[in-house]
Amino acid sequence: MLQNSFRTALAALLVVVAVAPGCQRAAYAPTARFAPTTSQPVGKTQAEDPAVAAMIAPYHDKVTTQMQEVLGTAPMPLLKAQGESPLANFVADLQRARASQVLSEPVPLGVMTNGGLRASLSAGPVTLGSVFELMPFENELVVLDAPSAVVQQLFEYAANIKMAVSGATYAVTFDGLPKDIRIGNQVFDPNQDRTWPIAISDYLASGGDNMGFFKTIEPRHTNVLLRNAIADHIRSLTKAGQPVTAKVEGRVKQ
Amino acid sequence: MTTRRDFLRQSLLGTAGLTVLGGLANTAEAAAAKEPIKLTILHTNDMHSRIEPFPDNGGQWAGLGGMARRAALIKDIRSKEANVLLLDSGDIFQGTPYFNFFGGELEYKLMSEMKYDASTLGNHDFDNGLDGLMRQLPNATFPFLIANYDFSKTPLAGRFAPYKVFEKQGVRIGVFGLGIQLAGLVGDKNFGATEYLDPVAKATETVAQLRGAEKCDLVICLSHLGYKYESAKIDDRKLAAQVSGIDLILGGHTHTFMDAPEPIASPDGKPTLINQVGWSGINLGRLDYEFSPKTKRAGLASASVVPVRAAC
Repeated sequence: MLQNSFRTALAALLVVVAVAPGCQRAAYAPTARFAPTTSQPVGKTQAEDPAVAAMIAPYHDKVTTQMQEVLGTAPMPLLKAQGESPLANFVADLQRARASQVLSEPVPLGVMTNGGLRASLSAGPVTLGSVFELMPFENELVVLDAPSAVVQQLFEYAANIKMAVSGATYAVTFDGLPKDIRIGNQVFDPNQDRTWPIAISDYLASGGDNMGFFKTIEPRHTNVLLRNAIADHIRSLTKAGQPVTAKVEGRVKQ
Repeated sequence: MTTRRDFLRQSLLGTAGLTVLGGLANTAEAAAAKEPIKLTILHTNDMHSRIEPFPDNGGQWAGLGGMARRAALIKDIRSKEANVLLLDSGDIFQGTPYFNFFGGELEYKLMSEMKYDASTLGNHDFDNGLDGLMRQLPNATFPFLIANYDFSKTPLAGRFAPYKVFEKQGVRIGVFGLGIQLAGLVGDKNFGATEYLDPVAKATETVAQLRGAEKCDLVICLSHLGYKYESAKIDDRKLAAQVSGIDLILGGHTHTFMDAPEPIASPDGKPTLINQVGWSGINLGRLDYEFSPKTKRAGLASASVVPVRAAC
């Protein structure tokens, strides 16, 4: 008790905070006495625990063997960014192509958000590891049959953040609304009574990234993981002698 | 530096301690004269499957982190400190191929090897769905504490407690967990029928239990709510300002690097400290506390000239 009081006073000099609860039933009064560093870096000078390193080793070997596989080559980086980005265009396009192939029907629209892609692709060899970095999630490629009204909501969402939609172009008004929406070069009529297949991840289809307007639509499954779709596409480009490229091409007009 | 109080302490321990207390031979008073009980809280958040350090070409965090290094650091601290609590604030899963390949198995096994005492659930811990989480639970020797998710209508019913009380040399430390709203952040099918409950209401209720029936001396919240949002969304700072009786919030989700814990005045005027140490195991948080017995009778302390914390 005595000592605690002294220590409290001393600790105050070190800019620490006493957090003693008041008159409670607890038997002990705590005093914070923090070390100068309350966030200790785990850096290169810290030796490894050999037992833990040994536990990691077999897992490490399995992962690295598979991750080092080179799938293709990117002459230029495919960057992720807000608004229309090369990487999101690349992924949203291949989603449409793969979904179309799996379902044996045209899929006019593809959606991938910037936040859904977790890393850019660097220039040079594209490994399975780099595909994992950009798509670490176990997301499935699905198709939503969205009524025109929901497609309109998609473009309103997109215009707000100037996000591109694969298969479409549109312009953004000064107050952030979509106009001149074209799907496959045809002017989009929000009142037309039809549905539009959209190739998308199951995460976004279930309302992720605040796409709540999709939630009521039952997705059609492709049973293809989005990451595998990306890796397969890059492999097929390589097989066809093509590089991994994508660009910002004015899908969103200012 | 020798302060006047240090001098006083030396004097009192040298004279009063030996003469007065020596004469009393009373366990309570004798305990009061001993070194306070020390507790070292070590914590991580958002480790995101970062088993190995960031690669040397890994940008901003190149070469940092790594669970084998963290294990060695923890072991070193344990060798020097009698009472250690090792805690985590969620988002253990997702971020490197280790998660994609093994579903979190290695993360849980290594945390168990490091003797983690408890964690809470982050949104990414649902990334392989409730089934994916359930499959990995046998690999964890530590509990996941969560007070504001109701799993009763899911396959995980009964698998998680809201809190746990740890006892170190008689000091009781209550630890509870709070998770972020899952809807909109986690795919619907991944959290299924898990119900999100108001963190403020559940924290108030849990703290009452920990401070009351459980007689805790220290109350720690493992939070995956996030440090701070400009919007009305609940965060650690708002929680601290709205709920009394939490000594420490160990946060996560926002990957916030804090140089020092931040005190926030709770409704009863007492400070709640918030700490968060970035992500990916780049840092290990360390917060040390000392506990001194509260004296319930007028003894040596009240008779002395030194300031004494009000006795209850």
